[in-house]
Amino acid sequence: VSEIVTLTLRAELDAAIEVDGVTPDRLAALSEREIAALRVTAGSRTVALGDFFAVRGERSPQVRFEGTLTNVNGIAAAMNGGEVLIEGDAGNRVGAGMTAGSLDVRGSVGDDAGVAMAGGVLTVSGDAGDRLGAAAPGATKGMTGGEIIVHGSAGAETGARARRALIVVAGDTGAFAARAMIAGTLIVLGRTGSEPGRSSRRGTIVAVGGITVPATYWFACTFRPPHVRLTMTYLRRHYRVGVDEGIAGGLYRQHCGDAGDPGRGEILEWVGP
Amino acid sequence: VTHRGVFIEDTFAEALTMRAARVVITAKTERWAREAALKFTGFATSVITCKCESAIERILPPEDTPDARPGVSILLFTTDTRGLGRRLIERIGQAVLTCPTANCFDGLPESAVRVPAGRALRVFGDKFQTSKVVGGRRYWRIPVMEGECLLQESFGVEKHGIGGGNFLILADDADSALDAAEAAVAAIDGVSGVILPFPGGVVRSGSKVGSRAYASLVASTNDAYCPTLRLTTASALPEGVNAVLALVLDGLSADAIRGAMRAGIDAACRPGVRAITAGNYEGRLGPHRFHLREIMNGAGRS
Repeated sequence: VSEIVTLTLRAELDAAIEVDGVTPDRLAALSEREIAALRVTAGSRTVALGDFFAVRGERSPQVRFEGTLTNVNGIAAAMNGGEVLIEGDAGNRVGAGMTAGSLDVRGSVGDDAGVAMAGGVLTVSGDAGDRLGAAAPGATKGMTGGEIIVHGSAGAETGARARRALIVVAGDTGAFAARAMIAGTLIVLGRTGSEPGRSSRRGTIVAVGGITVPATYWFACTFRPPHVRLTMTYLRRHYRVGVDEGIAGGLYRQHCGDAGDPGRGEILEWVGP
Repeated sequence: VTHRGVFIEDTFAEALTMRAARVVITAKTERWAREAALKFTGFATSVITCKCESAIERILPPEDTPDARPGVSILLFTTDTRGLGRRLIERIGQAVLTCPTANCFDGLPESAVRVPAGRALRVFGDKFQTSKVVGGRRYWRIPVMEGECLLQESFGVEKHGIGGGNFLILADDADSALDAAEAAVAAIDGVSGVILPFPGGVVRSGSKVGSRAYASLVASTNDAYCPTLRLTTASALPEGVNAVLALVLDGLSADAIRGAMRAGIDAACRPGVRAITAGNYEGRLGPHRFHLREIMNGAGRS
């Protein structure tokens, strides 16, 4: 039994590999040799994990990935507990479908990070690609639980179709943020991209750094939302997200939409302390 | 045994197991948090008549509250979990939901036993209410004329709370008794996990179980400690005692009550006080016993 299992990429990859299934709960029950023998996908072939990664440690629910991982997809996908630390940038689908545990990325991630996430915490110190916390292709629901904290910016369709989620982007987001959001909260401390909240049903966008509110949202009132203060305080204390008192307890313009069924979805636009 | 010249009687306070909740009320200012807390804890001195016992536990600075605003921590005790839920619904609904800028949070988040008071109160929103999950806990956003009130969905229950810890201050006169009681209350004020549910933390109308004269009464005056009845009843008052006041304590644990009793008795032992004793019903009231001399020796057992 080791304190941690470390997977170090042997050499930079020319083509992507998929490491879905290399999750802390599995590694917690395997020896070093068994971990190295786990099957991963490289193109159309299945190969041993040990062909790409040097494995150190065994039988631990704490896992660390090292190396240039931008061509490694599906890290910690479907993880259901334990802790994963990624030292550096990672590929697509990081933490996709995870249901529990802690996934900490000390770099940026590609597209589809946290897609269809149902629980746990995904933190990204850098940027995230498109469809952060969104729905899997063809699925009606995106995130159904858990929390995503991105300290950089995120791409298009962040939080699309989320059902129950807390997604925080400290930087900017791309277009169509919270598209068709069913419920949950997307907080954008930077600039929110174009066409936010399209077809949102009951979701909340908290836009701090500027937003162009779609014409299909109607202004309701200016107030200090108590849940925003609670959430911002939680983010400050648990994730050291840089929100000051003026943002946490600030004044917000509430816009309700989208379009045909107004009043359930909302955009909260920060207007000042 | 004496403590700073005051006789500590060889007896014990008897207490019963109760269900408890800790409610944290926050508001824009401490003043408004207190306003809500004072209404919340109103008419909650004894379960005998009020159905619950409640008081302010301590004032919370913004760094100790979930939403970083000034707050007040309240403890509420009842005899059963169902009653606890009902009292929370009533008191949060009437004292917090109504109070400008006030929100309400659970102060026992680790407790597995929970009562869904916020969930019940959400219907005041008439289906305009919405909820948010923050840190794995659900909160209800209830639209009100001011904007929104935020209530936590459920509140933790401490199933091993204790009600009825007490001690009596036997003094030369009423002024000395009141001075000593005030000092004891000040010493207990802010002790975590303990409240004094009676007015100002002090009781003058200690009671005995039942009644000598009226069969329907659950409790009646503790005539053995009434100085004006010294000659007409089997008085328990030593010579020279002309006034008695009591402190009654409810706590989340036996240790919390012991610590508070020790601090309170220590403060009450001052000139003008002749003895400290405690109220018990010879073991018929409840399973918890707080022996005064052991507590003052720092040993203590329940």
